[in-house]
Amino acid sequence: MVQNHHRGCHHQDHQEIVRENKEKRPKFFINDHVDILIEILKRLDCRSLCVAASVCRLWCTIARNDSLWENLCFRHVSPPPSSLRSVVLALGGYKRLYMGCVRPVQSRLGRVRRASWARDEVQLSLSLFCVDYYERLGGGSSSNGRLVGESSPSSLMFLCKPVNV
Amino acid sequence: MVLYDSSTLAGSISGSSSSSSKPPPFPLQREQQQDIDGHLAGAGYKVRSSELRKVAQRLERLETAMVNSPADLSQLASDTIHYNPSDLASWVDSLLSEFALNPTCPYEFVTDPVTNRTVVNDSWTTTATNMPLVHQDVSYEEQSLNNKLPIVTAMEEDSGIRLVHMLMTCAECVQCGDFTLATSFLEDMQGLLTQINTVCGIGKVAGHFIDALSRRIFQGIGGGSIDGGSAFENEILYHHFYEACPYLKFAHFTANQAILEAFVGHECVHVVDFNLMHGLQWPALIQALALRPGGPPLLRLTGIGPPSPDGRDSLREIGLRLAELARSVNVRFAFRGVAASRLEDVKPWMLQVNPKESVAVNSIMQLHRLLGSGPNRNSPIETVLSWIRSLNPKIMTVVEQEANHNQPGFLDRFTEALHYYSTMFDSLEACSVQPDKALAEIYIQREITNVVSCEGSARVERHEPLAKWRTRLSGAGFRPLHLGSNAYKQASMLLTLFSAEGYSVEENDGCLTLGWHNRPLIAASAWQAVPDAPAEFPAPDTHRPS
Repeated sequence: MVQNHHRGCHHQDHQEIVRENKEKRPKFFINDHVDILIEILKRLDCRSLCVAASVCRLWCTIARNDSLWENLCFRHVSPPPSSLRSVVLALGGYKRLYMGCVRPVQSRLGRVRRASWARDEVQLSLSLFCVDYYERLGGGSSSNGRLVGESSPSSLMFLCKPVNV
Repeated sequence: MVLYDSSTLAGSISGSSSSSSKPPPFPLQREQQQDIDGHLAGAGYKVRSSELRKVAQRLERLETAMVNSPADLSQLASDTIHYNPSDLASWVDSLLSEFALNPTCPYEFVTDPVTNRTVVNDSWTTTATNMPLVHQDVSYEEQSLNNKLPIVTAMEEDSGIRLVHMLMTCAECVQCGDFTLATSFLEDMQGLLTQINTVCGIGKVAGHFIDALSRRIFQGIGGGSIDGGSAFENEILYHHFYEACPYLKFAHFTANQAILEAFVGHECVHVVDFNLMHGLQWPALIQALALRPGGPPLLRLTGIGPPSPDGRDSLREIGLRLAELARSVNVRFAFRGVAASRLEDVKPWMLQVNPKESVAVNSIMQLHRLLGSGPNRNSPIETVLSWIRSLNPKIMTVVEQEANHNQPGFLDRFTEALHYYSTMFDSLEACSVQPDKALAEIYIQREITNVVSCEGSARVERHEPLAKWRTRLSGAGFRPLHLGSNAYKQASMLLTLFSAEGYSVEENDGCLTLGWHNRPLIAASAWQAVPDAPAEFPAPDTHRPS
């Protein structure tokens, strides 16, 4: 842990501070400042966020927090209506929305992206996400929906397949 | 038949399959005179009428062989024996055999059952002598591998084109009622199918059309009736068709966008779905309504579908699923199912439309089923359109296949269907998701079977193009609503997500069409009832059962 008694040492000789810093733990440990950590992680892209999730348990917990993924989804778009959050959470959460819909949609459309499409991309992603949720609903019931023991609904599978250019 | 001196003809044979220098015909034997085709006899060729088609096919084959291997022509010209060209049948067979023996020209080799002449080197023959010999595979073992691929394509293309020609000719025979000749064509085509790749391309589509034709022929002769498949099967196939290609997704998203825009500002809305299936269209609408500025309206959905045979209420189950979704996103929702095996059996009072609510009618590929007319009834389309109009819907979304499969003439219908479904199968090639792709093909195959082999009230797939629907709907008192740029943008985005690059969305005077390589395959349009001029018509009473 941070050595609190160092606070009083700023009057010491600079050399001594450097020497002492080499021997002791850093003054500032990011895990102590979760709010700063969150602010930093909020600005990461998807891949970095996933990598960050494997750093330590704390980072993993934070990276799983849905609000970070909410940020990812709407980063390039003006802030969404407040009603959106309850809808998305009901349908499975932002992380699922991002991984399942927004990311493939954005990457597929990336090569033809125009600035005005960012909002429409998100809306399309939402619609597809909703269909996906609906199919997952159907998977549970015995008499409806999925054939042949498929556990994952295939409505979004066309997004998962690589693009044949 | 008189044999000509071969030396005088050697020069005129190479380079063309029909000689321009025609020697005068020698007097014919009496007993052969009736057989010989009169037109060709006038030109100097003796061909039996019964053999006309076979000779024509072989001439085509010879032409292709000549065109594709010009190096052999010079060899041919210097060859020793040429048969009498006025005996066209044997002449073309002999030339084909010349090509067959040449190892660099591996075209299909057929045993002529009449003359029993094998035109293939013995080492290449298969066991059955009355079936077409030699798959490409066998002959290619003799070839260098360098030649393998291009030759396959050329040969298959050639066979594919021949297959298409045969299909058309067979359909023509069926139209004329000549079932025996049609049956012989069927056998030829079955044989040809074994030589080409039926996993993709023209072979696959042709296979389905051959099946459909044979059903039609054997039905005509007195075979069994055609089973349309149970409702449960249809739902599953429909679902996989939904997953495998974007046509239904396009239909749903475009219709939803139009309905969403029509419902702006309305607080009580009622959607009537003419074919509920698994209700895949509605989650997106429910979600969009949940997020619209001003909050969601009260949404009522009436889903029409076939009754379930085994006591399950499938409509109700779908309704419950949709209700659960609506509850999750806080949209007030009510569902009602109307079970009817045919759309014309539905009466407006069953829908229980409240006069205060705004109604949207949604028909995805259902209206064309109402176009069939029986001997003792008119087509129900007019009745249905008039009661739709009496509901005074804010919007009616109509999505139909963009094809002309309701023409009275069988051959025209067949030709149009062949082109349409070939294009559709092409677009399906791009899909790699199994088992969706295979089941989607079965779904399309059922449509093909219905278009080709059914008649009368059994034929429900009576697709008509957008222009005809426009006339029909305008005549029934509807006016078109333009699908806006949002719908177009959404459709374009949706298509970009699909892995195949061949899909194209086009705007057609306010309607959107989705097609494959510029051939539109499905068209979406929106309509609104024209308000009655009060002086002319009495106001329709929507509560009276009609």
